[in-house]
Amino acid sequence: MSHSHSHAPGEEHSHSHSQGGPPQSPMMPAPDPALQALIEEDFKPVPLSFSEDRNNAYCLKHRLEKCDACDVDFVGLNRLASLLAANPSLLCPPPANIVTQKLTQVVTATKDEGNTLFKSSLHTAAINRYTVAATIAVSRPPWEANQLMREELSTVISNRSAAFYEAHDYISALADAEAVIQVRRNWSKGHFRKAKALLGMNKLRDAAEAVKLGLSFEPTNTELTSFLAEIEKFEKKTEDAKLEARRQEKTQ
Amino acid sequence: MAPVLVPIAYIVIVFGGLFIFSFFYRKHTSTQAYEPYFSSHPERNAYVTLLQKTDPPASDSLLKSALVRRAMADVQRVMRIREDKPALQNLLQKGSIGDDLWNSLISAEKELEAEIMEVVAEANSFVEGWGQVIFPTANEMMANEKMRVVFDNISEAKAELELKYDVKAKITATIGAAPTSQPRSNGLAPSSAGTDSVVSSDGEASSTPGKSAQKKAKKRR
Repeated sequence: MSHSHSHAPGEEHSHSHSQGGPPQSPMMPAPDPALQALIEEDFKPVPLSFSEDRNNAYCLKHRLEKCDACDVDFVGLNRLASLLAANPSLLCPPPANIVTQKLTQVVTATKDEGNTLFKSSLHTAAINRYTVAATIAVSRPPWEANQLMREELSTVISNRSAAFYEAHDYISALADAEAVIQVRRNWSKGHFRKAKALLGMNKLRDAAEAVKLGLSFEPTNTELTSFLAEIEKFEKKTEDAKLEARRQEKTQ
Repeated sequence: MAPVLVPIAYIVIVFGGLFIFSFFYRKHTSTQAYEPYFSSHPERNAYVTLLQKTDPPASDSLLKSALVRRAMADVQRVMRIREDKPALQNLLQKGSIGDDLWNSLISAEKELEAEIMEVVAEANSFVEGWGQVIFPTANEMMANEKMRVVFDNISEAKAELELKYDVKAKITATIGAAPTSQPRSNGLAPSSAGTDSVVSSDGEASSTPGKSAQKKAKKRR
């Protein structure tokens, strides 16, 4: 290991680059036995026990999925194991491009139900439908291509945010809009919804900032640019009103 | 006698001393281990533990799930190394960090390569050809799980936002209507969301993919 002292940093760099990204290499050469021994040496047994059907793992002492005292977290493990156990025909998680068309149909149908309720201004009912649609969208098998879930979930929550806004629950609208942004950052709609919710709460500056952030992803979006102009107009109006009020006070 | 002995003794003492020093120094540096870049691999430990359980053995689906989890952890580590490497390289050239950290990164990278090969081999031992799919699967699972977390955390985020804006909301009197409508709709929405998510995230997750899985299996044949 003393060679490291004679190595120039640049040399090490070129040498390490020749290795390339590990997951990309299509041909798998035999692993280095020395490294394998190192991996084996690192092994520490985890105290765990099974559920009755042996499909779920728990910590040995407390029979908990997620246990801070034992420092284990089997939630994700058990969820996937149950999913695989429920589908015995599935030998292993299939490639990501095989997707469940039926789930998409169900989500779209539920969302459309919500949309019709929304149009007939039954906002609370629409919110409930959207919530159902979002729960279905999120229960898509996790190995499927993530764009699908991303698009479905973001549209449904964006619609729910709009419904919350119409129901004058601006905080919920804001929370949903922020979730949309987290799920799909470069989608202008999420930023638009956030700005609208903030405007509902009379946070003009925050709303303008949200719109500007959205515009940085999509500078030509007309919805956002017109909304920004609207906010600025509104801001000016309130300022004018304030000035007017002050002037009147003075004259009195 | 003496004039010959003195230079010889001198040479023996000097070179003997150098030799002894280099012997111990080399021994010291060769046993010196780098602090590992990643502390431990809990997912790998869990998988191997499950594999070693014989009485009763773990079910196949649990083992496969544990392997996917292990692959997910590896994907995370690969990304972490890819992110850290250029930065550390820069710092190393500037002299801000020592060789130790750099070497531990390099050895972690090598170990990760072996680890990935092992995961691929393990996957192939379950189902032939799974090795090519398991890492893309792990990738998708990470993205999907992140979204799921965002969705599950909406009500918490809402509580935080309420705290944040409730304080401010009292300053402007114009939103006087909002607080009255808020408790009603806030009480409604999370409760409906809560019951729905409890019922259907388990119910849906096991039932709808069940149907779909059969469809998929047919497609594959």
